[in-house]
Amino acid sequence: MRISWNWLSEMVDLKGVVTPEKLAEILTSRGLEVEGIERQDQGFGKVITAQILERLPHPQADRLSICNVTLGTGEPLQIVCGAQNMKVGDKVALAQVGAALPNGMKIDTGKIRGVISNGMLCSEEELCLKDSAEGILILPESTPVGRPLAEVLGRNDAILVFKLTANRGDCMSHWGMAREIGAALGLKPKRAAIPLLDFKGKTPVTIQLEAGDLAPQFYGCYIEGVKIGPSPAWLVKRLEALGSRSINNVVDASNLLMLELGHPTHAYDADQIKGGRIRVRLAKPGERLKLLDAQTITLAGTELVISDGERAVGLAGVMGGEDSEVRPQTTRLFLECAEFNPVQVRRAAFKHQRRTDAAQRFEKGLDPSALGLVTSRLAQLIVELAGGKVISASAVQLGGQTRKNITVQPQYFQDFLGMQVSPEKAEQILLDLDCDVFKAEAQQGSAWTVTAPTYRLDLSIKEDLAEEIARTLGYDKISATIPKLTSAPQSIYTAASASRMALLNLTKETLKALGLAETIGFAFTSKAWLAKFGMASTATVINPLSEEHEALVPSLIPTLVKNALDCWRHHFGSEALPIRLFELRPTFHSAKPEICATGEMETGVEERWKLSFAISGPRWAGGLQNEQGELDFFDAKAILEKLLESLGARGVRFQPQSASRVAAGHPLFALKELLHPGKSIEILAGKDVAGYLGLLHPGKSRELKAQAALWIGEIDWDMLSKLSRPVYESKPFKSWSEFPPIGRDFALLVKDDVTADKITQVALKAGKPLAKVAKIFDVYRGSQVSEGMTSVAVRVIFYEETRSLQEAEAEAASTQILEAWKKELGVVLRS
Amino acid sequence: MIEKLDAIGSQALKDLETAASLDRLEQVRISVLGKKGALSEVLKSLGAVSAEERPKIGAVANEWKRKIDAALELRKAQLDKAALDVQLAQERVDISLPARTPHRGALHPITQTTQRIIQVFSRIGFDVVTGPEVETDYLNFEAANIPADHPARDMQDTFFMGPGVVLRTHTTSVQMRMMRAQSWPVRILCPGAVYRSDSDATHSPMFHQIEGLWVDQNVKMSDLKGTLLFFAQELFGADAKIRLRPSYFPFVEPGAEVDVSCFQCRTKISPTCRVCKGSGWLEILGAGMVHPRLFDVAGYGEDYRSKNLTGFAFGLGIERIAMLLYGIPDLRLMFQGDVRFLNQF
Repeated sequence: MRISWNWLSEMVDLKGVVTPEKLAEILTSRGLEVEGIERQDQGFGKVITAQILERLPHPQADRLSICNVTLGTGEPLQIVCGAQNMKVGDKVALAQVGAALPNGMKIDTGKIRGVISNGMLCSEEELCLKDSAEGILILPESTPVGRPLAEVLGRNDAILVFKLTANRGDCMSHWGMAREIGAALGLKPKRAAIPLLDFKGKTPVTIQLEAGDLAPQFYGCYIEGVKIGPSPAWLVKRLEALGSRSINNVVDASNLLMLELGHPTHAYDADQIKGGRIRVRLAKPGERLKLLDAQTITLAGTELVISDGERAVGLAGVMGGEDSEVRPQTTRLFLECAEFNPVQVRRAAFKHQRRTDAAQRFEKGLDPSALGLVTSRLAQLIVELAGGKVISASAVQLGGQTRKNITVQPQYFQDFLGMQVSPEKAEQILLDLDCDVFKAEAQQGSAWTVTAPTYRLDLSIKEDLAEEIARTLGYDKISATIPKLTSAPQSIYTAASASRMALLNLTKETLKALGLAETIGFAFTSKAWLAKFGMASTATVINPLSEEHEALVPSLIPTLVKNALDCWRHHFGSEALPIRLFELRPTFHSAKPEICATGEMETGVEERWKLSFAISGPRWAGGLQNEQGELDFFDAKAILEKLLESLGARGVRFQPQSASRVAAGHPLFALKELLHPGKSIEILAGKDVAGYLGLLHPGKSRELKAQAALWIGEIDWDMLSKLSRPVYESKPFKSWSEFPPIGRDFALLVKDDVTADKITQVALKAGKPLAKVAKIFDVYRGSQVSEGMTSVAVRVIFYEETRSLQEAEAEAASTQILEAWKKELGVVLRS
Repeated sequence: MIEKLDAIGSQALKDLETAASLDRLEQVRISVLGKKGALSEVLKSLGAVSAEERPKIGAVANEWKRKIDAALELRKAQLDKAALDVQLAQERVDISLPARTPHRGALHPITQTTQRIIQVFSRIGFDVVTGPEVETDYLNFEAANIPADHPARDMQDTFFMGPGVVLRTHTTSVQMRMMRAQSWPVRILCPGAVYRSDSDATHSPMFHQIEGLWVDQNVKMSDLKGTLLFFAQELFGADAKIRLRPSYFPFVEPGAEVDVSCFQCRTKISPTCRVCKGSGWLEILGAGMVHPRLFDVAGYGEDYRSKNLTGFAFGLGIERIAMLLYGIPDLRLMFQGDVRFLNQF
């Protein structure tokens, strides 16, 4: 919203009271934010009117001239000029040395092809008066010499650019802003008298309101004998400064009125209104309307239109129609000033993509009691600008208007705001804002009834009044207090959200401790990218910004892999960047093909938190290359195991893919298929598959042009959290035996298909109760053992908590273990 | 015999003193004290000596044995030390070679900033709750006093998922879920991702917010101000100031934009400050007193009218705060998953 300082000053006596900058500060502190001030003389400093005394050819360049110019007093100045359109005696704009022009050009003394130039003669383009210009600006002969150009051109206004909030439609005009400023500065805004028309008459055009509440009021005025022509210069200038383009005197009058009082109005060529009537009605489905912008729209039937006896002639509150627009030969006008339902106007403006200045004012609501005044002012302006005579005026209103009463206790403001506000002060502020305050005389301190002015549609509850009082006194006058705690905070034992949040943080901290960096990716990606991973989103955005933002992710892996691929593009020397990333956030799943709300709280979209990670590169962050080693399966597995340990998760198991029952159609099938079948594990939480971990499938890796082996894992964190030790439970202490343990190492020959966990499980079972620990400490396959066999080194540790163990007892247990290994797994001792 | 012992002893001491290696030392020990050593040989013939002489000779022999043992120990220590000196002189690492460091993990600046903010508000009694990111239009908008076709909808460009379903544009919906599920007092913080269809250098289609809500009897606007001042001073410095400016958010009344004094320009506002661009203030929050319409939706309407139930709410963008605190120049860095960014924090 652009507001002219000069125009405002005509309404409120600002000059000498505040500067534009100070006013901007005051209004911003009252909630009317000024984003910037555009001074029209910006860049015109040191640009002075001058007269050419002499024009000589440049000795070195045919296309340049040397002009000697005078500023009226002092020595003439020598200026080198490249233009051809000037002659001796012309009045021109001289940018003196030190000028910084509106287009950014800075003027210095300098030699141009060997001749000194003490400034520059300006073109309109250089002064940003026009988009382009041939030659320099030649001023009228009557122009005084030696005066600042800005003054000569009348560029002395300052435009305040506001960023208005949606509730202050009443300030979308100069008069509205003047009212606000008047209240802020304690000044009374003033305007020239507007003679009110008599709306009890009958216009040659009959007004018919057929849409009930959607258009409850319509004021019309009939004018004859107007002469359409260009607007006077002051009006063109004013409109342009405020971002509007001059059309003709009648249209400009309507536009000026909107900037003055805030109400959009419309002037029809009365001769083009067929059937002698104006109807406000709902459009017919499929009805066509040619708008002022020369485009024809097809109406849906839900819009409100203005029509004459035959056809729609305007989209109500949004834009007029071309058929009835004011044209050069127009002499008779019919003026419209109406009240339309804000929602109705907003919908129509959106539907037909025409969020015009008019529509933006209607949708915020306009003073319903001002229509007569506005219509009268429009007629006055038109007669002033285009001549003619008001023949008649009429108004149709459906029902009356009621003003809302707000009941409030005098003490309320002080109590609610926490600032010093006496009832007297509060009352004064409300009165200054044009509110009416009714008090029951009899009782001191009894409730007030406050009525807001009709233009303040945003004031309807006592909190609204509190804001008025607070912003008038200044929010800085509100004290700072700490609210009282009247009950205990949440218990981590009983508030699920509290323990869940703590577990989330523990998960993140654990992964951080394991050397992973957290990443946060968008919740959405493209369908195409998901498809590369065999995945499809079940929840997509209807109006995405681009296809990159369309599909809510069912898994975090595709984005994580993309992160890795992107990172690999940035090399450090010849090395690919090591990747160690994790992410923990919701994924989105809908069982229904179409997402649709069922009730106020249910969307049908399930959000499952998933934890994913991707690692690649050397095992160590620093050190010499040959000592680092590449990450392998066991590094990836370590992350998962350490996490489970840290969370105290019970009942989580791993199994090889070969044992998996996940098949096509299972939600995790795509993830499973992404992995190397022999270097991956399926993670089971109880009976359910909770996720996978393994090497990105070499085929996929090649397809994506991955630069290194990438180990990825994803686990359903919601499942995991259910199996984890509650955060309020401390990990119980475990004692150890004070008596020395006995260790026995076994070198075994094992068939390849016997897995390590079988060997240790059998050992612990057979060695009960003395065998407490069994661990594999070496594995060998190769020339020293026969084909199909593996050499496995196992250490079993025996002890008792309560006594020293005899060698013979460990010996006996070892024998049992060996027998069990032989019997159950076909394992033999390596000789 | 005593002369013989003396000769052997002094010769042994001389030999030990000059022994140049541990091997030579052992040789000398064996040649004197070994089973067939010189000293042992002499003592074997002790039987031929008279009973009076025997203790004397024995004493002399023991005295020599003791001296030799001591000399042996001494020389051994000398040689050990010399050997160690040689070894130490040879053993060197280039301490300037790179250390074999483990990978250092990191939490995203958004997470760290969120945790820090939560920590501050927790101290004065706020609890943390979260809610769904895919939300009903009703809870996201209608319940927040932003009905369909209201101009305030322009403030939040929305991603739609289906009839009545949106990606939440703020975490206000979580507050409403919470209020509907329980009675007052309510003191909650709602952190989480929110979505708006806007993307450029300063807007991301997904970003993070923390909203706070405090509902109780007789809560004042000054309580809001005091709470936010405490927050600003805990996050930006004990001398931080805040400034409230009237503004409009449909879910609060009165509403305010909250600025915090620039933490770079503590003593004097620099016109070229990269943080506040010379204004001295940083816009970081929106806030206000809970609009009574929300109490009606929450089922608190009766208590609002009869028990003076009031409340305040505030919301802040976490990225904005994180960018200020860490000096991150571009919002987009937050979501690109670039390890060069993520590993820094």
